Amino acid sequence: MKYLRKYPFLGPLVAVVVVYVIFAIVAPGSFTRAENLTTMAGQTVVVGIAASGMTLVMLLGGIDLSVGSNVALSTVVCALCMRAGAPAILAAAAAMASGLLSGLVNGALVTTLRITPFIVTLGTMRALRGLAKGLADEQKIDAPSSGLDALVAPLPPGYGWALFPPGVWIMLATSGLVAAMLVYTKGGRHIVAIGSNEATARLCGVRVERVKWLVYGLAGLFAGLAGVMEFSTLTVGDPTDSVGLELEVIAAVVIGGGSLAGGEGSVAGALFGALLMTVIRTGSTYLGIDNWVQDIVTGGIVVTAVALDRARRASETRR
Amino acid sequence: MSGVVAQGVTKAYGATTALAGVDLDVRAGEVHALLGENGAGKSTLVKILAGAVRPDGGRLTLDGAPFAPKDPAAARAAGVRLVSQERALCPHMTVEENVLLGGEPTRFGVLKREEARAIAARALLAIDPTGAKKHRLRPDALVRDLGPGERQLVEIARAITEPRCRLLLLDEPTSSLGADDVEALFAVVSRLREAGLAVVYISHHLDEIRRIADRFTVIRDGRTAGTGRVAEATPADIVTMMAGRSIEDLYPRSPRVPGDVVLSTQDLAGAGLPVRASLVLRRGEVLGIAGLVGSGRTELLRAIFGLDRVRRGEVRVGAYVGPASPAARLAQGVGLLSEDRGGEGLALGLTIADNVTLSRLVGLGPLGFVTPARMRAAAARFIEKLGVVCAGPDAPVGSLSGGNQQKVALARLLYHDVDVLLLDEPTRGVDVGARAAIYALIDRLACESNKAVLVVSSAAEELVGIADRIAVMHKGELGPARPVGELDVRAVMLEQAGAS
Amino acid sequence: MFGRTLRFALTLVAALLLLSCNRSKDGGATKIAVIPKGTTHEFWKAVHAGAVKASREIGVEIVWKGPLAEDDLKGQIDVVQSFVAQGVSGIVLAPLNDKALEKPVEGAVKANIPVVIFDSDLAGSAHKSFVATDNLAAGRLAGEKLAALLGQKGKIAVLRYQEGSASTQKREEGFLEAIRKMPEIKIVSDNQYGGATTESAFEKAESLLAAQSAGSGGVDGVFCPNESTTFGMLLALRKAGLAGKIKFVGFDASEKLVGALRDGHVDALVVQDPFKIGYEAVRAMAEILAGKPVAPRIDTGAVVVDKASLDKPETKAIVAPDLAPWLGK
Repeated sequence: MKYLRKYPFLGPLVAVVVVYVIFAIVAPGSFTRAENLTTMAGQTVVVGIAASGMTLVMLLGGIDLSVGSNVALSTVVCALCMRAGAPAILAAAAAMASGLLSGLVNGALVTTLRITPFIVTLGTMRALRGLAKGLADEQKIDAPSSGLDALVAPLPPGYGWALFPPGVWIMLATSGLVAAMLVYTKGGRHIVAIGSNEATARLCGVRVERVKWLVYGLAGLFAGLAGVMEFSTLTVGDPTDSVGLELEVIAAVVIGGGSLAGGEGSVAGALFGALLMTVIRTGSTYLGIDNWVQDIVTGGIVVTAVALDRARRASETRR
Repeated sequence: MSGVVAQGVTKAYGATTALAGVDLDVRAGEVHALLGENGAGKSTLVKILAGAVRPDGGRLTLDGAPFAPKDPAAARAAGVRLVSQERALCPHMTVEENVLLGGEPTRFGVLKREEARAIAARALLAIDPTGAKKHRLRPDALVRDLGPGERQLVEIARAITEPRCRLLLLDEPTSSLGADDVEALFAVVSRLREAGLAVVYISHHLDEIRRIADRFTVIRDGRTAGTGRVAEATPADIVTMMAGRSIEDLYPRSPRVPGDVVLSTQDLAGAGLPVRASLVLRRGEVLGIAGLVGSGRTELLRAIFGLDRVRRGEVRVGAYVGPASPAARLAQGVGLLSEDRGGEGLALGLTIADNVTLSRLVGLGPLGFVTPARMRAAAARFIEKLGVVCAGPDAPVGSLSGGNQQKVALARLLYHDVDVLLLDEPTRGVDVGARAAIYALIDRLACESNKAVLVVSSAAEELVGIADRIAVMHKGELGPARPVGELDVRAVMLEQAGAS
Repeated sequence: MFGRTLRFALTLVAALLLLSCNRSKDGGATKIAVIPKGTTHEFWKAVHAGAVKASREIGVEIVWKGPLAEDDLKGQIDVVQSFVAQGVSGIVLAPLNDKALEKPVEGAVKANIPVVIFDSDLAGSAHKSFVATDNLAAGRLAGEKLAALLGQKGKIAVLRYQEGSASTQKREEGFLEAIRKMPEIKIVSDNQYGGATTESAFEKAESLLAAQSAGSGGVDGVFCPNESTTFGMLLALRKAGLAGKIKFVGFDASEKLVGALRDGHVDALVVQDPFKIGYEAVRAMAEILAGKPVAPRIDTGAVVVDKASLDKPETKAIVAPDLAPWLGK
């Protein structure tokens, strides 16, 4: 109990392990093969990276519904650059820049217009989706994916020492950096402080607006990075991609201990939340479970995760 | 000269004048009480000093130099720290993180952990020199796990971490504290004074002022109404300055005749608190329940009203026995006034009319519909009856002063026409004038309307003033109710501290 | 309290999982993954039924699993990857995008899992066979039918589906090819796109009809290359009061379109045979797994249905096949 409190990601970690063990028992033997583990890790990358940004936004007490559209826009930008013959690294940078820019727009609207983040990002969700479609001329963009396609693809033979595709390591590095920022930097503490009690943070001289800009910008940057990973998977720029991704990302953060009210959330927990959903999805594929059952199970787990968290809190305060 | 001096400070919000020329002179090494009824302008003055509000006119100096902070950060940098009335802490963060918030020692944005720990440790030592609260006030304890008194101390710790802290503004620091927490607070404030800090102390409690403050300034209607040494002024003088009139008798008491028993509990126990509480309440009497914060007084009321689960024991309301939901209690004629006015008691965003009629939306229009005109009419009756100072029934409750908000909360109970009133801290955050009105109302309810009133309060003096009988709660156990004739303030205070 | 909740939740999850996995029997048997573009459309249910029929005849196990969200490209790629990681015997796939699925299919082939593509084509040459309607031929059929309806002369318009959709582009191409052989038929519009949804198709159809002054004889016949454009056009014609007056050949057979055919609002529908697509695709995979050669292109055919042929049993088998024996619902 005490550990759960100090390390809130233990809950989702236990859930991942439990669900994994259940599938390992009931699913065909190949579920526990190493290839499957790498595949699942690879499939978690997009949600995992976006969840780092979303954790920050939700710690702040905000929300970013534009993540899915932002990811789609990034795949389009990435594909356009690649098609124009830009080197892979430049295309990735451009995609991340478009993500960052979109995030900063969110931040600007939230801080200057003082509209609640839910409404702002509901708007930018549509706007960015439209921008992506416009840039892509309402079609999927075929582009050479050389250089970027290896990010989340299974490792080529001879590179087994890397254990996971590079995208997985990028995700882990991102999460690590964000987690460290939260613990070891002033900015990180100020994010939690604003989410916990904005008026207090302001009173204590925290530059609330600036921190919000930074956080929404970071969330956009991570969405851009997630978009690069998505492009790597799709190998096309798809303006209709990732519809509803934002809800999956929010679910990951919430499973990981995040609260819509702010002040709570764990980067590692969000990562395990994202992994949990991948494990369920993969296990369902292995078992040939109908999609509707899978939807029910995933939904049930989100609510159960929050209910368990509340029950734990209640039992703590009673003591 | 060291200290803060304000001369002729003015501030208007639109057409409303908040400050019409206030003078204040606070010296280093003194605790200066700032007094005045709610709405007199104390809060505005404090906000100006803290940099949260910019004055329209007047002159401020800090240690002889002109002082015009443009924002809280600037005031902070100049050494002015505010501990506001709203608990300004981040509940999800640790004590250390809260103490350092906004002033974290960093190198290139990265925290210097060792230095941070040292600063927090120094601050905690300053507020808890004896180590009496060491087990609770750990640097890594989460603030949401702390009690109100400890939170208050953490706020002060945060205020004094600033090495240049010269002026400390305490806005009603004791409003949610129990007696022992008040003692701890006073000890800290005294030490800060000895360390040469200037402290501005806002409170409604004259007894606190007498104990802790050296000098006082009274503000009335946005002007300085008087200033002087605390030791040289009587409470009556101060009250007269505050109200602009003398209050002959704060506690009116008409002859009361207790009638039938309307509410009783037998060995009542809740999920946590109370542990055991038995009481009997009759029509036409006021029963006071004293006790420290956290002793289970509020929980007792909540259990009676059906807001909290009853684990053991019995609640009897008239002929009804057993636990019931709040809706059922209201139907049985029991009403509760919450201690948490803003959070639970009132919907601050709604109008007075909405709030007054909220619990009983019947008879306000044809066929069970509700018409705004009738709601307004119903509310207007009580606005007049209770003397609520407001723009009209359509004014949002959030725009009223604390005392008037409390009157609206009481108006709801009266509108509902309950027979049993459970009043939890009815005068918290309420100024002297409104307090007198509330005391008079309670007296009228008991004598003229023959209602049964149960009052919970942290102020022993208040209970002795208004109640017929007083029972003291200590660690969840409710003692026997005794007539006020057998008790005095001192006895109640001793008993609630568990010393009798 | 906490422990009990946890136990309850875990039991619930386990029970759901156990309940839903009763159809997967493992044991080294041949297991073919069949991956459609989506799972809720009528079309895919018929494909599913055909696949089940083939699997029962041959005695293999199939796993039917589409992307969780309909038409979700990333979701489909994930499903393919998962089946590859699982090591199924073969994968039968209807790719949502002809290029994006190329890499995952190559990955499957590298892992020695043969792939048969069905319904829509895929770039590259990793897959063994492509089972689908010959859309060019189907488009030609439509063109010939419309020409016949018009008596080989008149003005016609085409409402295209979407740029970049290979199957419908082929149909449009085939249609125009057939029409251009008729010297007395004039194509008044062939550059309008209906877009992905029925709503967008409806709006485009309305403006198209207005622009060509269809109400005053500017258009004698129209063609639409898929279900959503056909339905959108049908709505637009009805709204303009032109339904039944302008000759109309559409594509695919939903319940509503068949109803319109009966009402005479649609004159003919070119219908694919989804049941046969599913059936042939699984058969082809089974042949491959048995080491037999298969044709790289298998045409599952298309037929023209009009009011007269609607109630013939062979038409019924295509338009409204009885799925119950195969899907058990």
